Amino acid sequence: MTVKVEKIEGGTPHNTIMWAGLLATLVCIYLGAGLNTMFNAFTFSFFGGLAAVAAIIWGSDTIKTLCSYGIGTGVPSVGMISLGSGVIAMLIATRFSWYLAPIVLVIVAVIIGAIIGYMANDVIMMKIPVMRSSMTEVAVIGGLMLMGFAQMATSSYSLVHLVSTQTSLLGLPVAGYGGSFIGASIITVAFILGAIAVQHPFNATLGPSWQQDRMLMLAAECGFLSIIPVAFMSIAYLSVPAVIVSIVVSVAGWFYTYYQYLCLSKRDAAAWLDAKPIREPEGH
Amino acid sequence: MTVTPKPTGGVGMNPVANALSIVLLIAIIGAAWILFGGYTLVFKALIAVILGGALVGFGVHFVPVGGAPAAMGQSPGIATGVAMLAAGAGLAGLFGGAFAAHAKLGLVTSVVAGGIGGALMMAITCLFVTLIYTYGMGIPSASGKVKVDPITGDTQAEYKSQGTEGHGLPFSSFAGGVIGGFLGGLGGTLIYYALLKVYEAKLPALLSASASAVVPVAVSLAGIFAIGMFLVNAVLAAYNITGTTEGFHDPKFARFPRAIIATLAASAVCGIVAILVAAL
Amino acid sequence: MVENIVIGIGITAFAGALASVAGAAEDVESDIGSQGDPNSQVQLAPQMGYVHRIFNKAISGEPPAWGLWVALGAGLAAAFLQVNVNPILALALGCVIATLVQGVYATTAYLGRMASLAKFGQPVYIDILKSMTTVTMAHAFIAIFTSVTMCYLMNAALGHPFPLALLGLIWGIALGAAGSATGNPIYGKERQYQSQKFGAGVPVAASGTIVRYAEAGERNSLDNGWFAAKLGGPWSGICFGLIVFLELWRTVLFEPFWAGWGAIFVGLILILIFTFIDRYAEVWARETFGPYAKPEGAAK
Repeated sequence: MTVKVEKIEGGTPHNTIMWAGLLATLVCIYLGAGLNTMFNAFTFSFFGGLAAVAAIIWGSDTIKTLCSYGIGTGVPSVGMISLGSGVIAMLIATRFSWYLAPIVLVIVAVIIGAIIGYMANDVIMMKIPVMRSSMTEVAVIGGLMLMGFAQMATSSYSLVHLVSTQTSLLGLPVAGYGGSFIGASIITVAFILGAIAVQHPFNATLGPSWQQDRMLMLAAECGFLSIIPVAFMSIAYLSVPAVIVSIVVSVAGWFYTYYQYLCLSKRDAAAWLDAKPIREPEGH
Repeated sequence: MTVTPKPTGGVGMNPVANALSIVLLIAIIGAAWILFGGYTLVFKALIAVILGGALVGFGVHFVPVGGAPAAMGQSPGIATGVAMLAAGAGLAGLFGGAFAAHAKLGLVTSVVAGGIGGALMMAITCLFVTLIYTYGMGIPSASGKVKVDPITGDTQAEYKSQGTEGHGLPFSSFAGGVIGGFLGGLGGTLIYYALLKVYEAKLPALLSASASAVVPVAVSLAGIFAIGMFLVNAVLAAYNITGTTEGFHDPKFARFPRAIIATLAASAVCGIVAILVAAL
Repeated sequence: MVENIVIGIGITAFAGALASVAGAAEDVESDIGSQGDPNSQVQLAPQMGYVHRIFNKAISGEPPAWGLWVALGAGLAAAFLQVNVNPILALALGCVIATLVQGVYATTAYLGRMASLAKFGQPVYIDILKSMTTVTMAHAFIAIFTSVTMCYLMNAALGHPFPLALLGLIWGIALGAAGSATGNPIYGKERQYQSQKFGAGVPVAASGTIVRYAEAGERNSLDNGWFAAKLGGPWSGICFGLIVFLELWRTVLFEPFWAGWGAIFVGLILILIFTFIDRYAEVWARETFGPYAKPEGAAK
């Protein structure tokens, strides 16, 4: 016996969210990289986190579109395939300069995602109408999320910068390669943070009374929640003022979205009871 | 409009799609041959990655997973998701394989060590599932898909409680789990080992650093790629099984050729991009 | 690798003990929060008309979720270690932040699922949110801290090449897989369906009819927690502890023999031993419990 998922018409169409999400993510990544380069500082790295939040919001709607058709396995597997294909695209994009890398990432992720979507839909014969486009989208989303996390943690997304650390804190030199974003495998944390964050909004709000605005608000909340630990981890790579800015931005964003999500849940719930007994429905 | 989740997955093969996938696979291997200059380390690594991915995809079909009904004793198998259970076993195997690779024990030893690690984890997990069902819940194991267990010859129908599709882990499911863990650990470690060798060879020139200094980066890169590709292949195989299977005696097992073709092509694409990260 | 084999064995034993505690805490946490496959029944019950006061923590399955908590704790600890924070403090701080993330995820999952069941009259019980969340976080902290410490020992003391965060992901997923495989049937069948007869699976027709009224008053997830802690938790702990201990033991002790093949052969022998035990248990069950119906009978 499985949960019935109703495809509710209405709400913002998925294509709108897709283009808005893609645009917002790319703008935030370029803003972060551009401003950091222009001012030769680390303080604008939090834009990478905002890019990841935008990607997560977009991704939650993609997963909702795909899983409404019933894929037979659970929702979390889509999150895994998203990051699994995204990490490969992201790492090849790190070989390019900061203004080319996001474009390369999108192109490579589209190719990888389309091939995986074709495999899933036609070779494995899932035969779901949106399978190919959804797999393509989630690959791009996974890659962009990782790029955003990398930028927020280390202020850059070029391979040379991600595998070596040049900063020294309090006069003590920090490890050369072993302590870097890739060397210390912080990328692994970003990987699994993204995988859970992108599938949680739909997974947690699925049910007969699913509402799109509540899911998207939860997606924003998951995004901000995910970048709080990334802000803490950036303490190994960025200067203290940059870390403080990142933490303030992520915590503030999380507070706001979590409060909004509470309000929306209260709006949608059948009843909001505190220490009351079980209310049996009529006829039971 | 109500859409109830149907266990999708059409039966049979799509010949056009299969042919296209094989063409894609050959095209990528051919491009790699030209790009990397023949039978070099990098080319051999790509072949290893492709094989490893296919092994992972194949191994997932052996793992007995019952999903949500198994948690209520309504169907046989382990009560977890198939992709993540296979990932758990494969990654535990990768842990052991990486240890062996670090000790410079060579390709075959590392890969087999990884396979045994995965098999050991699945053996212990499956054993405890059986113990819980037997001594904790008083329920004997019974399969819902076969009349007689193919390995032990035990009859199954009369040990199935009323209204259920079977429960617990019949011995064939146990054996399937161990084999699945072995293949998963084998494939995952093979991907890891191949990528590790490529990165150890190519990164020093790329980063202008000594070979010993880039080892942590090579290990970490190879590790995250191995995990990423493992998950992609495991999820594709899970889509093929549509979530639940009893193991190799389940009729769904006959679907594995589709998964092999899909994982071969997907691993080829992901593998060549992963290698190009260092070799570009 | 380890120079001193005695220290290696000592660390292996310690890691195995930590893993056992982690496995037990993981299972109790996932039963208090109701995560994983048994949670589908908690989700289904209101749709069948059975309103309940169980915490519905729908955060993916257990393996990926635990992969996240442990990797997060390990990654944060690694970052703190990089800035020369004391190791124990770094590990504890990392695990505290990971536990806080887990707690937030748990609350959003409960609110989301319960609000989406509004059509069937399932209310959101705020007192359940307030009382269960901290308990599940406490168990999660135990499991995360022991797992991250175990990974730290593997990396720092046993010389495993993987960095701390990568080990965290690997063992987090393995912890979730082992704990959920062992603990879910006990929670799902024995506790949620306590009203069903002991010694048989739940018939398909009875799906959704979970127990909602407990020994005294209405059942909540804490009642499920202490039940799980009696059997499911300890056995999940032993399962995961055995996995970690035997994996390390056969490597540390036997890898120097026959260029690594010693460890492989020991692994094979262990697999065979477990296969024999499994077969013994299966045959014992068939003979002791007997069939439900006659072998030729059609009673299905």
